[in-house]
Amino acid sequence: MRGLALAALLAVSATAAAASQPITKVQLPCESNSQEMSPTGTQLTVQCKDHSLYLVNVADGAQRKLFSSDHRPSEYVFSQDGRWLAAGFPDGTVEVIPTQDNTSSRQWKADSHRIDLVRFFPDGKKLLVAPVDSPGTVWELGDTPTKLATLPVDFGGISACAISPDGKMLVIAGDDTVLRWYDTTSWQKTREYRDFLLETFALTFTPDGKSVLAAGADSRITIFDAVSGKQVRQLPPDAGSSIFSVDVLGTGERALAVYFDNAGGKPPHVLVWDLATAKSVPLNSDPLPTCGGIVGGKLLTCSTDGKTLTLSQQE
Amino acid sequence: MTFTRRELLERCAAFGAVTLATSIPLSALASAWDDAEKQRTPTPFCELGPFYKRQAPNTSMLRSRGDAGMPLALSGVVYDVRGQVIPDAKLEIWQTDNDGHYDIEGYRYRTLLEPGAKGSYAIESVMPGHYPTRVCQHVHYLVTAPGHKPLITQLYFATDPVFDGDPDKNYSRDPLITSRELIRPVVIKGDPKQIIAAVNFDLVLETL
Repeated sequence: MRGLALAALLAVSATAAAASQPITKVQLPCESNSQEMSPTGTQLTVQCKDHSLYLVNVADGAQRKLFSSDHRPSEYVFSQDGRWLAAGFPDGTVEVIPTQDNTSSRQWKADSHRIDLVRFFPDGKKLLVAPVDSPGTVWELGDTPTKLATLPVDFGGISACAISPDGKMLVIAGDDTVLRWYDTTSWQKTREYRDFLLETFALTFTPDGKSVLAAGADSRITIFDAVSGKQVRQLPPDAGSSIFSVDVLGTGERALAVYFDNAGGKPPHVLVWDLATAKSVPLNSDPLPTCGGIVGGKLLTCSTDGKTLTLSQQE
Repeated sequence: MTFTRRELLERCAAFGAVTLATSIPLSALASAWDDAEKQRTPTPFCELGPFYKRQAPNTSMLRSRGDAGMPLALSGVVYDVRGQVIPDAKLEIWQTDNDGHYDIEGYRYRTLLEPGAKGSYAIESVMPGHYPTRVCQHVHYLVTAPGHKPLITQLYFATDPVFDGDPDKNYSRDPLITSRELIRPVVIKGDPKQIIAAVNFDLVLETL
């Protein structure tokens, strides 16, 4: 999952790679090919070549080692306000770490299986935890995290999830190829979609919360009405590949999808889809930036030269 | 000299080696011993992978005439942890072709089997190929049965060149292999004109 998220960020950052304006340079603790930007754009996680993980403050370059190479997480993600970082580990442990102050972190055993997916809810107070080959769970992040809900599937685990912008709706995709909708007030499953034959690897809401985009091994984006769960439209497939991430751009008119070659012989490629016309354009993204994200409507990208990272704003 | 299990128990009891509660007959003790010996360890989990596809056809012949690759015969029995055959299991098996390609559009090298009362299965296929993002040749299994935890696993071949002839030592070369138990010996059968690689892979499901 780590690689998939990185690919998504790389793809986002590639949208305007042609014209970039350097903003600042940051000294890294090590040479790194993999960073992630917090949703606020003020912090970076930096994965060193020995797989140790650091947190770096963009403004002053302050560095903090989060995890050593022998305690590396299998998955990690920032909260939307950037104040927390959640990490899941191969032994099923989850750790939620404050990124900006000395608030105490929380650590607990969420499962006995490797954690493959963690996602904060928009309020930053709840966390979805998805182990491999086991049902997902949702946790209330008090001083002592408590389990709010279990999200069963027919077999396997959860391959993707999306939470509506208002936090009231959760959609999960299972290894069993089924999409399930949950009301996050009652934690009742409200509907499910069983017509996919292949797995879904990417789910996202549009910014208005009205639509859900799903994509995966069938190499195409399927758009659902978020409330009714009905399929609205399906974009053309890109045969021979699988979609591993989808991001909605702007106010929701376009979506960016990262495709991986099923045979593994070709590098990933990126298409930007116009959701209204179902037309796509490929992106030229050579060389790919090492991280990126949309912050305050502006596209920020990273590039590295040795232990120096340059943060740029795309025009 | 050999003894039946019951005779052995009787002799042990006679010499005081086994203290028997009056309420437990020797036959029950022998039966319990049998059951204990039949107990099986659940087959280890191994990742589902991204190429699972629902609604595969029910067929035991996965290869077609002229398909590239050494013919492969896979067989086994589905058990529970007590060693009892599970009569109502469903097995989904999928793999790449000999060139390392999964069929996403169709159902080549995919099957959904219902072994029935004997719990046994057998398919004819070809040795799967290597592909760039995976180290080892492998075959995927998804086994479900009422009252049992679904089993997701993968079968590997001891003959895979990746292991350099020593899977005990080298199985971790593929980081996705969770257990040495998943690497099975390959027996070469047939005649010189039609050599077949035969692999036995029994599956053991945990009770819910």
